[in-house]
Amino acid sequence: MANLTRRDLMKIGMASGALLAAGEGFKSPALAGTVKIGPGGKDFSPQTGVERQAIPSSCWQCVTRCPNMGYMEDGRLVKIESNPNSIRTEGKMCARGQGGVSHSSDPDRILYPMKRAGKRGEGKWKRISWDEALTELADRMKKLRDAGTPEKFMFHYGRMKASSEKLMKDAFLATYGSKTGAGHTAICEGGKWVGQELTWGKHYDNWDFDNTNYVLNFGSNVLEAHTNHIPTSHRLIRAKVDKGVKMVTFDVRLSNTAAKSDEWVPLKPGTDGAVMLAMCNVIMSEGLYDRDFLKFVKATKNKDAPDDEKIASLKAHLAQYTPQWAEKISGVSASKIKTLAIEFARAKPACLLTYRGAVAHYNGVENERIAMMLASITGNIDNPGGRCKAVAASWKFPTGPKDKPEAKKLKIDDGFKGQVAYPTHHVDHQVFKMIKDGKEGRPEIYMWYCYAPVYANGEIQETIDILKDESLIPFTVCSNPFYDEAAALADMILPDTPYTERWDWDGDVSPMQIAEYQIRQPFVKPLGESRNLMDVACELANRMGFPLGFNSMEEFVTMSGELTPEVKALGGIEYLKKNGVWHDPNAKPKFYSYKKEVKEEELKAEGVIYDDASGVYWNWKKSKAKDEAEAQQKGYAHTKDAYKGYVGQKIGDKVYTGFKPDILNKSGYMELYSELMEEKKFNPLPSYLPIPEHEKMGAGDLILTTYKAAVITQSRSANCKWLSELYHDNPAWINPKTAAGLGIKTGDKIKVKSVIDEITTKARVTEGVIPGVIAISHSVGHWEYGRYASGKKGPDASGAHDNDPDLKTIWWEDRGVHPNWIIPNSPDPIGGQQRWMDTVVKVTKA
Amino acid sequence: MGKKEDISRRDMLKTGGAVAVAAAATGILPAAAAAAKEGVSRWAMVIDLRRCIGCRGCTVACKSEFGAALGRWNAVVKQMETGSYPGVKKHFLPRLCNHCAGEKDVPPCVEKCPQANAGERAKLGGVSYRTGATYKRPDGMILLDMSLCIGCYKCIEACPYGVRSIDPFSKLTRPDREKDLGVGKCTFCAHRVDKGIAPSCVNTCQGGARIFGDLNDPESEVSKLDKEFNLVKNRDKTTLLPGEKTQPHVLYIDPAGVLAQYKIDKKTKEAEFKDQFV
Repeated sequence: MANLTRRDLMKIGMASGALLAAGEGFKSPALAGTVKIGPGGKDFSPQTGVERQAIPSSCWQCVTRCPNMGYMEDGRLVKIESNPNSIRTEGKMCARGQGGVSHSSDPDRILYPMKRAGKRGEGKWKRISWDEALTELADRMKKLRDAGTPEKFMFHYGRMKASSEKLMKDAFLATYGSKTGAGHTAICEGGKWVGQELTWGKHYDNWDFDNTNYVLNFGSNVLEAHTNHIPTSHRLIRAKVDKGVKMVTFDVRLSNTAAKSDEWVPLKPGTDGAVMLAMCNVIMSEGLYDRDFLKFVKATKNKDAPDDEKIASLKAHLAQYTPQWAEKISGVSASKIKTLAIEFARAKPACLLTYRGAVAHYNGVENERIAMMLASITGNIDNPGGRCKAVAASWKFPTGPKDKPEAKKLKIDDGFKGQVAYPTHHVDHQVFKMIKDGKEGRPEIYMWYCYAPVYANGEIQETIDILKDESLIPFTVCSNPFYDEAAALADMILPDTPYTERWDWDGDVSPMQIAEYQIRQPFVKPLGESRNLMDVACELANRMGFPLGFNSMEEFVTMSGELTPEVKALGGIEYLKKNGVWHDPNAKPKFYSYKKEVKEEELKAEGVIYDDASGVYWNWKKSKAKDEAEAQQKGYAHTKDAYKGYVGQKIGDKVYTGFKPDILNKSGYMELYSELMEEKKFNPLPSYLPIPEHEKMGAGDLILTTYKAAVITQSRSANCKWLSELYHDNPAWINPKTAAGLGIKTGDKIKVKSVIDEITTKARVTEGVIPGVIAISHSVGHWEYGRYASGKKGPDASGAHDNDPDLKTIWWEDRGVHPNWIIPNSPDPIGGQQRWMDTVVKVTKA
Repeated sequence: MGKKEDISRRDMLKTGGAVAVAAAATGILPAAAAAAKEGVSRWAMVIDLRRCIGCRGCTVACKSEFGAALGRWNAVVKQMETGSYPGVKKHFLPRLCNHCAGEKDVPPCVEKCPQANAGERAKLGGVSYRTGATYKRPDGMILLDMSLCIGCYKCIEACPYGVRSIDPFSKLTRPDREKDLGVGKCTFCAHRVDKGIAPSCVNTCQGGARIFGDLNDPESEVSKLDKEFNLVKNRDKTTLLPGEKTQPHVLYIDPAGVLAQYKIDKKTKEAEFKDQFV
């Protein structure tokens, strides 16, 4: 330790890294009663007292994308805080967002384009110039395009949202002509979205904690890792303490969310639906339902059913799902279910939460449909304090040349034929199996971005084997700021910028139902030769001869600012460069969107017809129908893309906006009774689906559950030193009762074996997990991603260096074990969501 | 935001009077009362354990504010599990330097520092004080000046809480000690507070579990919480290691009795002051 030098980022003469109070502090004494401590938005060097330059931008450690503020010292980014002017975050930020400060200075960052110099995956690289890289890539891509097979260029992306998504998909890929692609929603929470699209039409639910009286949570770790984490979590804890809002969490594990709840109710994995159905049963039979809301609910086949018929239908359906029945399935006592059901129904407004704990299962879509039923019958839908339809910023943007070719695609992102009923968020985890299978064709170029399929998907060894196989995928290329497990399998790596060096417009879901606009701008210039992929896409388009009309993301953002009325009125993007965020101070929160009546003239507009079967007014011209006659004959439900023409739902003698469809031809009702489900041979009313593997478990079998920890993101922040320092090991949680049966103690090495593979890890015996389950977190167990994540240095050709004093003080050796090696890639049959929480394992002492 | 120009004379008189009354009422020490009379703050942090969700925003905010080395922390959150399944509870306990008033106005770290009075005389408000390698400012902040430190590390040993540690990024500057490393700990973000900005950990705390302010200002949030929860007088229940009689300026709102269940062993106190998310 003694021979360590001071870190060079603190270029000051005095030698106290700890603190020098003998600076500015003495000159500005603090006087009692006069010093109002401000909320931030400023920062000062502890060493010199000099104010650090503040730059407002946006986080991208997780999908929440909070507005942030970067602080610069001597031209270097030294700190990230929240933006105190954001209505989403109210100046708060999580550990991850602040830990992102070290992306730019990661010594294992890729700074130069590289080409492999050995076999694929061998780890041998040579540095190449950007011109060499883009000449080769543009040549390969152009060849496919000129041959009329642009679909053989496949683009697979993870966290690519807002302006990045629009520039890449709507402008670049659309003009190039390939729609062969995949995302990663199916390995996140896709099943939840499909459940919502089948019921209230569009995906995403905001939880209005500011106005709620009660929070009932099935499997959301909202206080640690939600997709809208900081905006919701800080409001939830405030509601709990300041207003005494009761919160009950059902989870297999004592997460921090469960720990801060008034009650943690452990339940068997995948049985959330059974408990919620029993709650619905109690609420209907006790007469605690919200009759007013039923008007907007479809609960029987009869679209014009009066309320009494709907009530009778729900009661009849729910009769089988008694609390006693649910107790046998879930392990939660019937009396507890009854008590909580009555509390929830009486607490209005009350907020029903669900997330991966409930949806990353075989029965995930059904569990979300059941949740929508529970929220609906209690009238807690799109109301202040309830489960609300998402409100976010609405940007306009340029989409490139008007004349675009008809884009083509390989049908490899929706799973195998017949595998998934409604893959509206795709079945991304089956892509590699489908490439191997080859029946739907194979890409010649596989490009990926902000995504590490060999780390983020299940069944890791198989994914590695397929991605490595040149006979299956001839050319692999990625854009990545870091040398992760997937980058190691590329033929060419383009050095991307971390989000701390990017441009974007953004503005994600508002926790208060008022849109907030935000931008991301670079804190520092891209290091080395790194370039954001969006800038590279503009150049590739130029090289291939189809200029997009903008040459960088910065230009795209500026043009979007001119096209978006709200932003233009501020004076364009300059306002956001200065302030980072904007919301309309006069805007009212948006609730009850479904209650809006449709104007007479909208019903009489050109192309609008009435569909008697569903009660939907729709504009057939926006669908794929050839003419009105075909539209009338096929009807709303069976005309392709009919939902795009949806105008309103006739209920009684009025027409309402209703629950507008977004991707499926559903009616404008809250569809608890779903003919779409009926057509695919599922029960039209939300029902309990047992998990097949769990029905066949043998003695001693355990269920593997996985989770995310509050201080690190799933696969893209282990390179951040202060986050890895906090969380680098993931011993498997196991209940003392279960552990005793297996002779396992804390610290013991254990083998965890599934049908596809096995891992060796350590045990942590804890009271905080239900017996019969083993819980292993994501995010660690890296075998690449640089020295802070895995202990492994990046390739020399990438520019990886040793000039970082923190490298010498890495004090941890444990790196954890990734559970995804043993989890099969297997979809929920309705929506295609990866079934993270269903794997049955045998656990033995190693 | 606390600019001197904004303060009218009347305001000062008003708060000065109120402060004197508040000081008498809470039974604080003579030096602190004297400081209050002179219009100097008495900084304190209230940590409301009901609001802490264990997110470690504070931990990372602190590490980046100071560019702290790996392996050392100025702020940590400890986790504890109590009870058995299914009634098990998990608790979070944020910890930092307690900025102790000290039993006789001198906290143990300052008492043991041979260089505690080695610095120049300085003034805060109307109060004159002497700086040192480890010293107490009249507003209660326990601060360090590594240009005066001789690297004896007696302060590390003296602190019953183990919050001080050798800082590998801090080299001493005294000509005879240039090969030695300095000492680090929480400073209550004096460099921010003196500019009217909340400490880094307080600024980011999403639960609002950390509340920072002036106990000499009856209108401050910490004074209001002190009044509501009787924090200062009831310090046996609201501070860590009350038996050490250090009189911490970090006060906990702790309805679940977490403090009483948290043990600090003299032998492992420094190793314990470490943050690991479980």
